[in-house]
Amino acid sequence: MKKRASIIGGAAAIAATFVVFVIPFIFIVLMAFKDRQQSALRDFSWPTGFHLWENVFEVVKTRNWMMITAFINSSIITVVSVTLLVIFAAMVGYVLARRRTRWNGLIEFLILAGLMVPPAVVPTIWLLQGLKLFGTLHGMILVEVAYNLPFSIILYRAFVSTIPRDLDEAAIIDGARPLDVFFRVVLPLLWPVTVTNIVVQSVGIFNDFTNPLYYLPGNANATVQLTLYNFQSQFSTAYNLLFTNILLITIPPLLVFLFFNRQIVAGMTAGAVKG
Amino acid sequence: MAGLELKQLRKNYGKVEVIKGIDLTIEHGEFVVFVGPSGCGKSTLLRMIAGLEDISGGELRIGDKVVNAVEPRDRGIAMVFQSYALYPHMTVYDNVGFGLKLARTPKEVRDQKIREAARILQMEHLLDRKPSQLSGGQRQRVAIGRAIVRQPEVFLFDEPLSNLDAALRVDMRMEISKLHNDLGATMIYVTHDQVEAMTLADKIVVLDGGVVQQVGAPIELYQRPANLFVAGFIGSPKMNFVSVSADSVSGDIATVSGPDVVGVPVTLPSRKVAPGDKLTLGVRPHDLVVAASGSIVGRVGLVERLGNETIVNLELPSGASWLAVLEGDQALKRGESLALDVDPAKALLFDDAGQAIPR
Repeated sequence: MKKRASIIGGAAAIAATFVVFVIPFIFIVLMAFKDRQQSALRDFSWPTGFHLWENVFEVVKTRNWMMITAFINSSIITVVSVTLLVIFAAMVGYVLARRRTRWNGLIEFLILAGLMVPPAVVPTIWLLQGLKLFGTLHGMILVEVAYNLPFSIILYRAFVSTIPRDLDEAAIIDGARPLDVFFRVVLPLLWPVTVTNIVVQSVGIFNDFTNPLYYLPGNANATVQLTLYNFQSQFSTAYNLLFTNILLITIPPLLVFLFFNRQIVAGMTAGAVKG
Repeated sequence: MAGLELKQLRKNYGKVEVIKGIDLTIEHGEFVVFVGPSGCGKSTLLRMIAGLEDISGGELRIGDKVVNAVEPRDRGIAMVFQSYALYPHMTVYDNVGFGLKLARTPKEVRDQKIREAARILQMEHLLDRKPSQLSGGQRQRVAIGRAIVRQPEVFLFDEPLSNLDAALRVDMRMEISKLHNDLGATMIYVTHDQVEAMTLADKIVVLDGGVVQQVGAPIELYQRPANLFVAGFIGSPKMNFVSVSADSVSGDIATVSGPDVVGVPVTLPSRKVAPGDKLTLGVRPHDLVVAASGSIVGRVGLVERLGNETIVNLELPSGASWLAVLEGDQALKRGESLALDVDPAKALLFDDAGQAIPR
């Protein structure tokens, strides 16, 4: 009986996953194959012709090859932000977990506040303008780093305490300076969390729609999510192109996820000390 | 050449004083063992020497340099940790060579030194493995290898063998001893295992409560403990104690009696006791012999017959419990009365402050 129940439960879970995640994706793919007329019906029908290549070419070419600029911009923002996030969050997490001072409580409160208090858009724009960073890629990168830092720190902090302090001390005795201890001993051992961070944050930042919308105006600054607006207007929407666009910009996060998901391995510290 | 000199070394955490002013001189090439019960400050003292703990007061010299404020890497030391502390993401080769890499040693020199250390420790075949693929003994070898390549003036060992099983411990103990002979470096070794202390040390430092109780050669500590703590701590099984008072002092012999013993003679050429003094008599279990007219009489409790010796639990009239280790096999029955004698030259006397009375 128990076995049968678990089979039914498993089948139900698979079915639910299929409905929630796979069917919408199939819908996107099908829409990308259709021509404009058929796609306007917005139904779950088989494409009447093979229009994928036309659609892709049309999407990439639109508004003076805006898609290419957008991919470049988004890639720069994602790669730089995630790199900075990993390094800074790991550093803060390491120091917070290792060094006990009376300021720890306050610092932890501030990190939690950063997670809970909603970002204020207008003051941020005012500040960015004051710093001459408004509408620039590096300004956008700083905003992404600031918004996502608390979450990354919390991830790292919990993991640092699983790395035995003896390792730090052994490295110090071996002649490591503080930065050597961090970059050569601690950071490599944080790899499992680093992978988690890379996956979560790069998908989040690459798919970010609202922040680039507020802080990064202008055609030259477009990011991939903003290209979705190219095919949507008040009176007419080219659904085949819109869904081709969605398909194109879904591919990079999907690749990141597939590539790093295999690397999330626990137990990196096995063998460091007597277990 | 590097000896060490500790002058009034102190350590406190807030208001709690852990190391209470330690004076100690360690000669170059000596093998010094710090022993003591847990919490006595021996590991803290070692970590202060390593530079992993700040020194709150006093002066530490390594060689002829005061190193209180010197970084660990510049102290000319290497340390082996109880937990081995190998870097899990590096191979054995990289683990051993990590210090050299940090010091920017040229690659050929580094390679040569790593292979030399591996040869000394017979672990050449392990160089490509990760620490997780090694057994406990092999990990400890790697940890020692990492210390050797630094060619330190002073080796520090923090209970390095306590995670190994008994047989391996004996092997590694001999290996460390051999290493000391071969390298001729100063070694400081922390342990709570007195067998390790007795077998390895040129000099044992007994610590308790952050204070040095006695410093000396292992046999000296065994035969002439400075106080009750050292007498009780060194030697296994523990020394037996009983409170007595001096009856008479004549010639080189003082006779003591108490509620449990009557007229035990103790050789005491110094004659530093007067009749009536309150004393503690200390007798090692191995120094007791069966004698019909013995001055120590007790009731036999548990008897452990090991063939070559017999360990007897003895209950004295006051209820105090003594141990006697008797030669050969003795068929003793629980509950019977047993009279024992002690060689006057081997019995020890302590005054009422717990200090040994010099002979």
